[in-house]
Amino acid sequence: MSQSLARRTFLKGAGLTVALPMLEAMRSQGRAADASSDGPVRAAFVFFPNGAIMPSWNPQGSGKDYKLSSTLAVIKELKSDFNVFTGLAQDNGRAKGDGPGDHARCASTFLTGAHPVKTSSSNIKVGVSVDQAAAANIGDRTRLASLELGIQRGRNAGSCDSGYSCAYSSNVSWKSATTPMAKEINPRAVFERLFGSAISSESAKRRNFYRKSVLDLVAADAAQLSKSLGKTDRRKMNEFFSSVRELEKRVVRADEERKSARPSIDLPQGVPSDMVEHIRLMYDLLAISFQTDTTRIASFMVGNAGSNHSYSNVDVNQGHHALSHHRNDKDKIAKLVKVDEFLMGEFGRFLRKLKSVQEGERTLLDNSMILYGSGISDANRHDHAHLPIVLAGKGGGTIETGRHVELKRETPLNNLFLSMLDRMDAKVEKLGDSSGRLTNL
Amino acid sequence: MNRTLVILIALTYAPSVTAFEEPASWQYVRDVVPLTAKYCLPCHQGEDAQGGISVRQFRTAADFPAKRDSAEKILKAIQSGLMPPDDEPQPTSLERKRWANWIENELYDLDCDEAPDPGRVTIRRLNRVEYNNTIRDLLALPSSFSPADAFPSDDVGEGFDNIGDVLSLPPLLLEKYMDAAELIADKAIVVRNAETAQRQVREGTKITSKGGVKFRRGVFAFISQGVVRASFAFPRSGRYLIRVSAAGDQAGDEKAKMKWTLGGRELGVIDVPNNRDNPRVFEREIQARKGRQILEVEFVNDYYVRNKADRNLYVERLEAVGPMDVKMSEMPESHRRVVSRTPRSNSEWLLAATDNLRPIMQRAFRRPLNDAEIAPHAKLVLLAQERGETFEQGMRVALSSVLVSPQFLFRIERDPNPEDASSSHAVSDYELASRLSYFLWSSMPDDTLFKLAKQEKLHEEDVLVEQVKRMLKDQKSRAMIENFGGQWLNLRNLEETTRDPEKFRVFDASLRRAMIQETILFMEEIMRKDRPIVELLTGQYSYVNGDLAELYGIEGVSGSRFRRVTFDNLPRFGVLTQASILTITSTPTRTSPVMRGKWIMQNILGEPPPDPPADVPDLEETKKASPSATLREQLEIHRKDATCAVCHRKMDQLGFGFENFDAIGRWRVRDGGVSIDASGVLPGGAKFSGPEQLVQVLMNSKDNFTRVMAEKMLTYALGRGLKYYDRCAVDDISSATIKGEYRFSELVAAIVLSDPFRKRRGDGGKP
Repeated sequence: MSQSLARRTFLKGAGLTVALPMLEAMRSQGRAADASSDGPVRAAFVFFPNGAIMPSWNPQGSGKDYKLSSTLAVIKELKSDFNVFTGLAQDNGRAKGDGPGDHARCASTFLTGAHPVKTSSSNIKVGVSVDQAAAANIGDRTRLASLELGIQRGRNAGSCDSGYSCAYSSNVSWKSATTPMAKEINPRAVFERLFGSAISSESAKRRNFYRKSVLDLVAADAAQLSKSLGKTDRRKMNEFFSSVRELEKRVVRADEERKSARPSIDLPQGVPSDMVEHIRLMYDLLAISFQTDTTRIASFMVGNAGSNHSYSNVDVNQGHHALSHHRNDKDKIAKLVKVDEFLMGEFGRFLRKLKSVQEGERTLLDNSMILYGSGISDANRHDHAHLPIVLAGKGGGTIETGRHVELKRETPLNNLFLSMLDRMDAKVEKLGDSSGRLTNL
Repeated sequence: MNRTLVILIALTYAPSVTAFEEPASWQYVRDVVPLTAKYCLPCHQGEDAQGGISVRQFRTAADFPAKRDSAEKILKAIQSGLMPPDDEPQPTSLERKRWANWIENELYDLDCDEAPDPGRVTIRRLNRVEYNNTIRDLLALPSSFSPADAFPSDDVGEGFDNIGDVLSLPPLLLEKYMDAAELIADKAIVVRNAETAQRQVREGTKITSKGGVKFRRGVFAFISQGVVRASFAFPRSGRYLIRVSAAGDQAGDEKAKMKWTLGGRELGVIDVPNNRDNPRVFEREIQARKGRQILEVEFVNDYYVRNKADRNLYVERLEAVGPMDVKMSEMPESHRRVVSRTPRSNSEWLLAATDNLRPIMQRAFRRPLNDAEIAPHAKLVLLAQERGETFEQGMRVALSSVLVSPQFLFRIERDPNPEDASSSHAVSDYELASRLSYFLWSSMPDDTLFKLAKQEKLHEEDVLVEQVKRMLKDQKSRAMIENFGGQWLNLRNLEETTRDPEKFRVFDASLRRAMIQETILFMEEIMRKDRPIVELLTGQYSYVNGDLAELYGIEGVSGSRFRRVTFDNLPRFGVLTQASILTITSTPTRTSPVMRGKWIMQNILGEPPPDPPADVPDLEETKKASPSATLREQLEIHRKDATCAVCHRKMDQLGFGFENFDAIGRWRVRDGGVSIDASGVLPGGAKFSGPEQLVQVLMNSKDNFTRVMAEKMLTYALGRGLKYYDRCAVDDISSATIKGEYRFSELVAAIVLSDPFRKRRGDGGKP
């Protein structure tokens, strides 16, 4: 049991005794530099589609003495572990002369705070997202610079949203203004990415030996090739080149690492057909990746922007997006609230998992900053202000939780991001439309 | 159109125009701005501009080409009569025409008689389908092997997943490319070593003994001199490993010894220095003849001093492993393609690797290569040599490096002047071969295309036409139906479509798959039999299996096999009445005339309506106001709102025509107790009742349908969105198709012969 954690224990344990041991050996996957005895700070950004029913979401009162709303009450036992924010906006999600396409803009601005170029093919451009800004700064401290998870593949036919390329609707993480970070939706593939496939360390060593030479070769090839290409093609080659470098770094790092314990988990071969199971597995993998310090930065799309998935598990058989244009119809709103509560419940389940892991004096949740929200608030009006945002975790003791933080209307969500980056040693001066930092975290 | 023509048109429509060349901006201020101010400005300005289109952004004539996207929408709206809305003041038809002509001239200053801009496609990364197919064709691996299924999905732009600009390559994907390359190399190349070779094991009763041998607990114990024997069948003459697991009791001045004999030929005498509690495997590589032969192991130095010393031999197992030498003819095709030559000595490795890689790399990179380009890949085998691995293992590394090279992963086309947007040129014959094969097969070129490219004949028009015909006949062209057709008609969205399980109990995964299959088979017939493309909308035949037959009410078809049926007595016509399209254009609980109409406008008429404004009064409110209204009546009330009416009067009417089909494509005459009314009137006055008549109405503009399909297929063929300068090509393709009686192959050939398909230009930052 020391190495092989039974999945059921981890995934379904009610008391959440996480059997996966927080071995010092596993921790040291991260570099010693910042591994204080209480564990490093992690950040995850969870996106849910189609906004939320705000009257059921917004809390009453402010500061410590606020009253939970019905949607937030789903995670009431965690009240002291999170803050709820009101007043935040992603101004760049607004049309600004580009016309319809609020869902594409909702996802693409959510973590970037930049205005996406409206195009269905050429010149896709938005901005670097907060998670990737963090990864660029501190990603080299862990085996994986960052982790991008999702539930739905990108849409594979037709248009996604009013003349916007589907890249905008199916990605929240952007490595550069022009390169979206594709997300992984297959739990098994995530696991293998985190812990390697089940091969012996001897064959892993052999593979990495050859990989180094192969990657060197193709990097040189790309550099050579670039010289004879036009500007747009060169950009594609640069993208290739930087992905090669990324993998090279991982290969080198893998050699330096001690062989870490590979949690043994029983995972389905493909993508689970049951959505609830799927969401849970992804959250679990996210938790494990933080627990083992395989990465400190992650994003997770619980659905693609404008997702029309029907949540039949809570008796909602209509499509989520179609419902979200509720026009104040009581039945539709009631169903949407059910969806909001369901998703909040799964989020809470994830938080409890993080809370059950002890890291020195603190818990893994204490050491994390888990943002949960959407890039629109009221989907009926495609409102890009008054965003539903929860931030769970104490950021390694730097955030006072248990509060309703009321901010001035139209405060850029990116201001919160800057404050989060400060807390994980990944300070940047500006990101997207940020206009400063939050003073009252 | 050049300036002189502009003047001519201006003269025709504006008698007051003076006969000198007026700057466009004068005309703009004098002729266009007043129209805009009168008919557009009230709704189209500022942050709340209707449809997100503000006319204030067009200050001067130069703003039109600069803001082409918005300008094109305005042009379409004016030309089609979509704008201004019915209940607003209307321009005269002369005003409308003059207005549209002016914008058209500003936007498309094109002279189709001069060589128009062929455009430029961004280098295209292979998408998942193309990757799988290319690997299959490159290495002759079974088509069931699809390594790209593990890749993240390819982003879609312009409605397709093969658009160069949109296909990005994030780190996650490169990792998957690396994993896949290693996996493919392992599958393609056979490494013959003791682990992979055939193993014949003899133990227990398969071994006979003679002399002082006792069999106890699975072990033959030689108490005194004796022999054990086993028979092996050598499948052919060659090198084999003989293995014996043995141990000894040691005594006296030598170790226990065993003598091996195969078919009467002595193989040698071997020391067995290890003790009984530590058995070991002894191995010799030998040359054996084909056929059955006896292997004998004999204990040759028994030694015994009573109560003092005892030397014994123990044998547990005999094995023959092999053949170890690789015979090319026994290797799978994939292996022979990559390892056609094996070196005889270490010094030959590099040379052999280069010879091996030359043909496979030329195919993988889809062009001729010189040895200097091959060398860095070939050198990787030397790394394997240093590590003491086999040549084949080295070739695996070399092959994996080819498969992660950007020259394999991207389809690269080169320009003499990459930064000069004004310099256009024909793509090379090799590049053309790839354009053809990825367009029609979603895969790499075959030997015929490579041969024609090598002979520099492929670009000749008659050769191209002949190749198109040949390629469409090949089974591989199904890829075009699946990928082009599946995406154009949004068929792939069916994979994620759900239905309310209570209302549509028969709708399950297998019915969903059958729906997709039907439409693919239907389109495939039009391609294979070279039928007119308009049959996509009119064809009274299709392919059904048992489930679909039941859904359609067709008797006598059961089981999972699909067969061709004709709809002589059923009101089903082409894709519009197939369950697949009827299902993706419905909601999980009911039909949606709006979605069906929108789908037709988007994919068949080429007039995609804009998205609705977010906050419009809605059906439910309408429903509250008049609770007993049918869906049709509700929509009619809804359309009274001028903003909505603009698009809905066309969308809803088109959708009504298919109301006889429920949300999974079943025929019905009543809905919720009320008789279905499938009649409608389109803007312009065309009337219809039911699907048959509506299809007839659509057929009145079959040339427009041809144009729409030409645009979609050209987009797919080029892997880029169409630009204004592609209009000449689209004109030519459409008229060639119409002239060719709308035949499928005429459309494909016209695309292949078009300038944008055969030429490209430099970049220079021009879109």
